[in-house]
Amino acid sequence: MIKHDVVVIGGGLAGMRAAVEAAEAGADVAIVSKMHPVRSHSGAAQGGINAALGNREEDTPEAHAFDTIKGSDYLGDQDAVEAMCEDAPHQLIWLEHRGCIFSRMPDGRIAQRPFGGAGTPRTCYSADVTGLVILHTLWEQLERFGVKVYEEYFCTALAIDNGIGTGVVAYNMRNGELEQIAAKATIFATGGAGRMYLKTTNGYASTADGMGIAYKAGIPLMDMEFMQFHPTTLKENGVLMTEGARGEGAYLLNAQGERFMFKYAPNKGELASRDVVSRAEWTEILEGRGVDGCVLLDMRHLGREKILERLPQIRELALDATGKDAVNEPIPILPGAHYTMGGIETDKWGATRVPGVYAAGECACVSVHGANRLGGNSLLETIVFGSRSAKHAIDYIKKIGDVVPSDKTLRAEQERVRTLLGRSGGTRAPKLRHAMNETMSANTFIFRDEQGLSKAVQDLDRVRKEFDSNVYVMDKSKTFNTDLVSAFETDFLIDVAQALAKGALERKESRGAQARTDFPERDDANWMKHTLAWRQADGSPRLDYSRGVTITKFQPEVRSY
Amino acid sequence: MAKIKLDLFRFDEAVDTVPHRDLVEVEVPETTTVLDALEWAKAEVDGSISFRRSCRSAICGSCSMNINGITGLACKTNCKDVIKADGSISVDPMPNFQPMKDMVVHMDPFWDKYSRLKPYLQPKDADTDHATERRVSPEDMKKLVAVANCVMCATCYALCPVVSVDPAFAGPAAIAYAYRFIEDVRDGQRGERIAQISEDYLWLCAHCYACSYCPKHVDPNDRIIDVKRAAISDKVMMGERGPRHALTVSKTIKQTGMLAETEVVLGTVGRFNVIAQIKVLPLALRLMSRGKLTPFEMATGGTAPMLGLPSIKPIPKVDEVRTIFESLEVPV
Repeated sequence: MIKHDVVVIGGGLAGMRAAVEAAEAGADVAIVSKMHPVRSHSGAAQGGINAALGNREEDTPEAHAFDTIKGSDYLGDQDAVEAMCEDAPHQLIWLEHRGCIFSRMPDGRIAQRPFGGAGTPRTCYSADVTGLVILHTLWEQLERFGVKVYEEYFCTALAIDNGIGTGVVAYNMRNGELEQIAAKATIFATGGAGRMYLKTTNGYASTADGMGIAYKAGIPLMDMEFMQFHPTTLKENGVLMTEGARGEGAYLLNAQGERFMFKYAPNKGELASRDVVSRAEWTEILEGRGVDGCVLLDMRHLGREKILERLPQIRELALDATGKDAVNEPIPILPGAHYTMGGIETDKWGATRVPGVYAAGECACVSVHGANRLGGNSLLETIVFGSRSAKHAIDYIKKIGDVVPSDKTLRAEQERVRTLLGRSGGTRAPKLRHAMNETMSANTFIFRDEQGLSKAVQDLDRVRKEFDSNVYVMDKSKTFNTDLVSAFETDFLIDVAQALAKGALERKESRGAQARTDFPERDDANWMKHTLAWRQADGSPRLDYSRGVTITKFQPEVRSY
Repeated sequence: MAKIKLDLFRFDEAVDTVPHRDLVEVEVPETTTVLDALEWAKAEVDGSISFRRSCRSAICGSCSMNINGITGLACKTNCKDVIKADGSISVDPMPNFQPMKDMVVHMDPFWDKYSRLKPYLQPKDADTDHATERRVSPEDMKKLVAVANCVMCATCYALCPVVSVDPAFAGPAAIAYAYRFIEDVRDGQRGERIAQISEDYLWLCAHCYACSYCPKHVDPNDRIIDVKRAAISDKVMMGERGPRHALTVSKTIKQTGMLAETEVVLGTVGRFNVIAQIKVLPLALRLMSRGKLTPFEMATGGTAPMLGLPSIKPIPKVDEVRTIFESLEVPV
């Protein structure tokens, strides 16, 4: 049996930051990841990371916190938001001291750019590859500390014995064996669930693994109905065009060539928060002012030099996918599924309700993003809460003795794999995934109503039943069986989609990313509370609203940009 | 929609001793990428087709493979650009790696090359002051930007003919990554890093430019030249054959306008290193047997440099060659 004090599931930014924090403290820590850490989707983050460094204009963590809370449509827990914003400048400098390649101002300090929903230019960046440079910096620190990485191990289940987390079970993709990995503390850092949708900025690997594992193990998911639709994604393949483009001054145009955003956000225009911009775009498209089902992202006036210096990646991505060069012509874009504000319920230290089990980054819901995340806050969340969860875990493991997991989880997982590989026919996971994608994109997109959401709940129930009784894995090999891994991933995605659809159906108000056409107003009297979803035996969620929103000093106000 | 025949390399290291090929017909939009075509084949036809992929936007570096014999990212390769006249596209694993299953290869030797670099910042100072960031000029940071775009996809490593004959060679990606630290003004190990990469056969690079086919424009070929220049300007491990070879080649061309091969051999192995010279005798004999070297040239070429004289006569317009050298500021 593999054994470590701290095991981190996932090798993206949150996971590696947690592992480095633990390694620096001298703990025995390992990462379990379904791919090599530098392959993680954190690397696709483009625009930047927020911190009130005040390098361009005066700024404070408090101003950052206010913008974040307003952005969250007052659903974010304010104590957690404050903790994140206060830690942000320190974490940025920590990254810089470890060699992160940030873009610089002429005087040599870290450069900052404006981002949506922010009062000042607060977003630190490296051209439009910010996620990649931070990913590399953290991977370098893994190398420095010699952190053990169980690479291409797919975690399938969380072990809980006598009410505390005792590690995980993981499927070694190289030889097809399930292995028990014992840990005093387990930190999930597995990223988001964008693959619930047909069109998403998320890569193939963003399949809700940690969320699904925790949920199946009896830990609630929180605020799943809040799915962020990024305003600028490519029609052809859903690939992200960074908010940094608008931060640098790009326009959004409709078919008439009008900068329509000022109709919806008179002060901020294109730099309103993402939910506002996505709704505005979709309204333009629905009302017939779109161009082939898109609106246009126009960067031409920025000039060739600025585009090549600050936005080279998205220029090339758009060129590859559409054949259009952003230097010379506007790029057709539309909103696409991007970020899962909800996730595994944690406190402001990343701790779940089960001692020894933590979550950090996109898979967690602390909640710092509430009903809508601001651009530049996701990378920050990974770094701050990766670090904080590891700190808490290190204190925790000092207090408990050795953990000895029973073999019940391993045996259950072995049985699960035997069943999956034993079937000689049925419905393949890609088919089920497609059925889920279709109903999610049709019924739980930017504008929602009771009819569509009820249909999504029913469709997903059917998909769940078909999966449980009849899913068929075609590949029987023990070597790198991605057909089997895809079945696991689909299982997790269906779970999370069910929680999302039910949560959206029951939340009878519009707040942040949840826009109900049948309940168009925010309802603070009844809905200043989080949605907790508990998994029931048949896979459907049981909802519970016992967790209120923590307010410190920012009372809910009318939100306009 | 277009019909494309994917001609696939199939292999499972657990059960197969030799690979075989499968022809799988896919029906996809004409503008689809090779990765999308593979996804379609796996979802609709054969779930056992295996390949690595994640971001599908050329930033994770997972899906490097051979497409019609050329290594590249499947997510960045459009089917319509590579489809053959018979409507097929052949897909194989990257060369220079051991196949595991279909297009999935064992990557460990590639990652080991990075680990040997000690690939993390080793600052000049004690690094205790975390009150503020280190100041770095935009120009100094921009030098690192090209390498910062590297996604470690190993395309260059797979394309490298030197790796194929000598697996100990660090390879283009790791040398480019070494450059990222060598040129980082915050790092305090410049000399040690140049020495380390020199030991990892930096000078074996033959500058064939195969690695200029980089999907992320890192251009490792140019970074290798930069590292070699850094080695020469910092005078690190100048006693090794690599830098001596490079300098002698430059010197003879500057002096004579031509490559003086015998002199290069002597300059590389060492003018007074008789044992090494005896070891290269078979090479000289082979050159003679193929008419590339006369015994007379061998004698003059061997003795003149020992006296500090050029072994061959300068070409008539050698001044023009020297002007080129001077304008390029080649450090000879």
